[in-house]
Amino acid sequence: MAEEKILMIPTVPGASEPRKSRLKKAPELPILERRNWLIHLHYIRKDYETCKAVIKEQLHETKGMCEYAVYVQALIFRLEGKIQESLELFQTCAILSPQSVDNLKQVARSLFLLGKHKAAVEVYNEAARLNQKDWEICHNLGVCYLYLKEFGKAKEQLNNALQLNRHDLTFMMLGKIHLLEGDIEGAIEVYKRAVESSPENTELLTTLGLLYLQLGVFQKAFEHLGNALTYDSSNYKAILAAGSMMQTHGDFDVALTKYRVAACTMPESPPLWNNISMCFFGKKKYVAAISCLKRANYLAPFDWKILYNLGLVHLTMQQYASAFHFLSAAINLQPKMGDLYMLLAVALTNLEDPENAKRSYEQAVIFDQCNPLVNLNFAILMYNQGDKKEALCQYQEMERKVNKLKESTAEFDPEMVDMGQKIGAALQVGESLVWTKSSKDSKIKQRPPTPCIQQQPLGSNQALGQAMSSAAGYGKIMHLPTGGVGLSQFSKPPSLPLEPELGPDE
Amino acid sequence: MGLDMDPLLQAWSYFRRRKFQLCSELCGRILEKTPLDQAAWSLKTRALTEMVYVDEIDVDQEGIAEMVLDENAIAQVARPGTSLKLPGTSQVGGPSPAVRPITQSGRPLTGFVRPSTQSGRPGTMEQAIRTPRTAHTARPVTSVSGRFIRLGTASMLTNPDGPFINLSRLNLAKYAQKPNLAKSLFEYIFHHENDLKNALDLAALATEYAQFKDWWWKVQLGKCYYRLGLYREAEKQFKSSLCNQDMVDTFLYLAKVYTRLDQPITALNLFKQGLDRFPGEVNLLCGIARIQEEMNMTTATECYKDVLKQDNTHVEALACIGSNHFYSDQPEIALRFYRRLLQMGVYNCQLFNNLGLCCFYAQQYDMTVSSFERALSLAENDEEVADVWYNLGHVAMGIGDVNLAYQCFKLTLANNNDHAEAYNNLAVLEMRKNNIEQARALLQTASNLAPHMYEPHYNFAALSDKVGDLQSSYIAAKKSETAFPSHADTQRLIQQLKQHFAVL
Repeated sequence: MAEEKILMIPTVPGASEPRKSRLKKAPELPILERRNWLIHLHYIRKDYETCKAVIKEQLHETKGMCEYAVYVQALIFRLEGKIQESLELFQTCAILSPQSVDNLKQVARSLFLLGKHKAAVEVYNEAARLNQKDWEICHNLGVCYLYLKEFGKAKEQLNNALQLNRHDLTFMMLGKIHLLEGDIEGAIEVYKRAVESSPENTELLTTLGLLYLQLGVFQKAFEHLGNALTYDSSNYKAILAAGSMMQTHGDFDVALTKYRVAACTMPESPPLWNNISMCFFGKKKYVAAISCLKRANYLAPFDWKILYNLGLVHLTMQQYASAFHFLSAAINLQPKMGDLYMLLAVALTNLEDPENAKRSYEQAVIFDQCNPLVNLNFAILMYNQGDKKEALCQYQEMERKVNKLKESTAEFDPEMVDMGQKIGAALQVGESLVWTKSSKDSKIKQRPPTPCIQQQPLGSNQALGQAMSSAAGYGKIMHLPTGGVGLSQFSKPPSLPLEPELGPDE
Repeated sequence: MGLDMDPLLQAWSYFRRRKFQLCSELCGRILEKTPLDQAAWSLKTRALTEMVYVDEIDVDQEGIAEMVLDENAIAQVARPGTSLKLPGTSQVGGPSPAVRPITQSGRPLTGFVRPSTQSGRPGTMEQAIRTPRTAHTARPVTSVSGRFIRLGTASMLTNPDGPFINLSRLNLAKYAQKPNLAKSLFEYIFHHENDLKNALDLAALATEYAQFKDWWWKVQLGKCYYRLGLYREAEKQFKSSLCNQDMVDTFLYLAKVYTRLDQPITALNLFKQGLDRFPGEVNLLCGIARIQEEMNMTTATECYKDVLKQDNTHVEALACIGSNHFYSDQPEIALRFYRRLLQMGVYNCQLFNNLGLCCFYAQQYDMTVSSFERALSLAENDEEVADVWYNLGHVAMGIGDVNLAYQCFKLTLANNNDHAEAYNNLAVLEMRKNNIEQARALLQTASNLAPHMYEPHYNFAALSDKVGDLQSSYIAAKKSETAFPSHADTQRLIQQLKQHFAVL
């Protein structure tokens, strides 16, 4: 082997003498395929320049009949991003030997890379007729069907591919189809199988973790994300997801250290800055939170979550005009969310516009199904306005929601419990037994007793929980493979993202 | 008044009060009466010169030919940080293109446009001709600096009875003997007639007569050489003038020569020398800041702060620091700088535009819209109107009103058809409505108009990737990478595409 190398390297620049000596040595080789091994050697060493020179010489010698030289030339073109040229060359190959499955597969692959999925499917089908047992054909057919939005056929083909040969890529595509159909459970099953077969693939681990996060199974999510981080400690996706989980549980400092790692690799990522700022918010560093959020908003002006958080922080800072501005912008971008309308109403109440506040609460009640806070705040507003009947009505609605939530073991914000009891007393519905978990009874005395100031603490502190979950949700949604398009930033003042598609929830 | 003033005295008084038209008319009448009155003749040349006078230090205009065909720089591949011509390597510090817009590849937008502002230079003649004409300098680029010739002819047309002095009939050698006349005559030839050859002849004769001891003539000789493109000769003259007498002007001229020779470090050293002689000289400090701005934004801000310590009404320094603060997440501070400009009586479209933006991003909502309205009413041409509408579009996006933003960007394009940023943002809005074909067309227009912006390239790549056209995606992503090499999303996309190309 070593001998050969020493002998062959001088031939590369195309000097003719060593070649002749080689000819004498092995005259029995057919002229067409004579130097395929050399081409191959250069190709797999990624020495494309030399490889191209050899190919050119070979093609010149054989007048273009050397199939392998054309084939490798096409592969090199494809690696350089010249798909159209590579397609033409692969077609030449297919003409040279029409029975070869490889050539057909490559033609189809080139068509696929050019975005001509229908044509690719046809060629793949032809190839499949020649070879039934090839996982690549099945896999690629599945991917083509995925782009053509024929999910049923795609799933069938991908399952075939899995039966022939289990590949991570196939699992990922199958999971993607499940997610596109909105079937998270199915996707989780697929990814579980995938992780079993290749437990060190961080991509798979991260996606599985994110899916668990989306379902609210935090233990498993943490496990998988942790695994992913052990294999690749600077994985941006995993860091963001793990950080948002820590935030949900209040470990702000730990989350911040995690984010510090990610900030080096992705300095202009809006979700990252959003989560960082919510960490600061949790640590009650409001000014830092605002400046981080504003940077995120500058980089992604169409992201309603950042706007929501901005509104929330400004409510906490009691800057109601700015809060109104950001919240109304968020509502314009995401019109069907109860929480947004509730916060908007809180801002409006403080801007001395109770009429619009009331209308906003009405919208919030329509859109919201399970958050008792909406009704509580509404009840307080109505009570302060003197409309006791409506207040009572909302209070009862809130009780209903609280009862429902208690079944699902939700813990309530002590401040909310406190306020609920007060308004209950004020409405003379008695300290009904809704809040039996009053382990924090002692706190009641510390609260300011006047009902007029009630709204501010109300809106704020409980909303903190909201912000956290929204930050967490961010991680989820951002990184589902469904949102194909990433974020882009624009120059001039703000930046516009090509909006990632929203996940199935929210 | 019964008593008439002596006409020459009155003309002189007019001249001192900078009423040049009246002064020149009066001198004309005196000369009709007494054609050989040298005082009136000299006064008239000075009045005519002052009418069209532009400070030579700030006149630094490179035409296409000078940018592309002129090879004055010694080092072709200079080390990073030592050249003004390699923006990609010399630009250190400061906000990234994701935050601060750039003009040509690598140069961030400056806060203050001077006639000599050149943000990046075209690589080839063809590229120079194809790019928009205002992309490199503050005014439309001409083939050679031909504006000087035009200036001369235009000023002649205003004289109904032909030119005042017929240069070809002057005996320059005779005038060079009389220093009093020669200086004003030179300025007339140089600034009013723009006849460099005659000016150079006169200067050469005069400096010979003064036995090479008058620094002023040496500077004038240097100016002539500089205009003619003989930079090394100009450098020689300026240096020898500095031996005779230290003048701020001479330092500035010499630094200009070094900038043109692409030797920023030499220029900086020269400025430092000048500052030793004239401590705290604003123009020298400002010169340092300008050179730093082309190389390193962070140091430039420090230098501009030094300028402000000396002269707290320096418009250029205020504007540059203001824009720097705006793009580094501190719109509140930027607002203060721009408000300072407003207090000083600057009153134009750009200032109100900037004020509006700062107010919006600093959350001063009461001032935002009124500033933009003022900017619209003060706009002098279509490009300015377009820019204001473009920024209003951003405000509309900030309040989440997508339809208003759409209209604003449309208006931008109606006023300025070559506004690449507006095309790009429109495309993003179209994307949100899922009009993929339209978005693609708009992005393509944007990337053709402004190949130095990475956003349209990246958006096009992301869009093509989504619909599955990986070849177009790869080509666009590559362009995006050249425009903004450290963009993380582009990197990720390219990696993904390469994987697609490599695996079967």
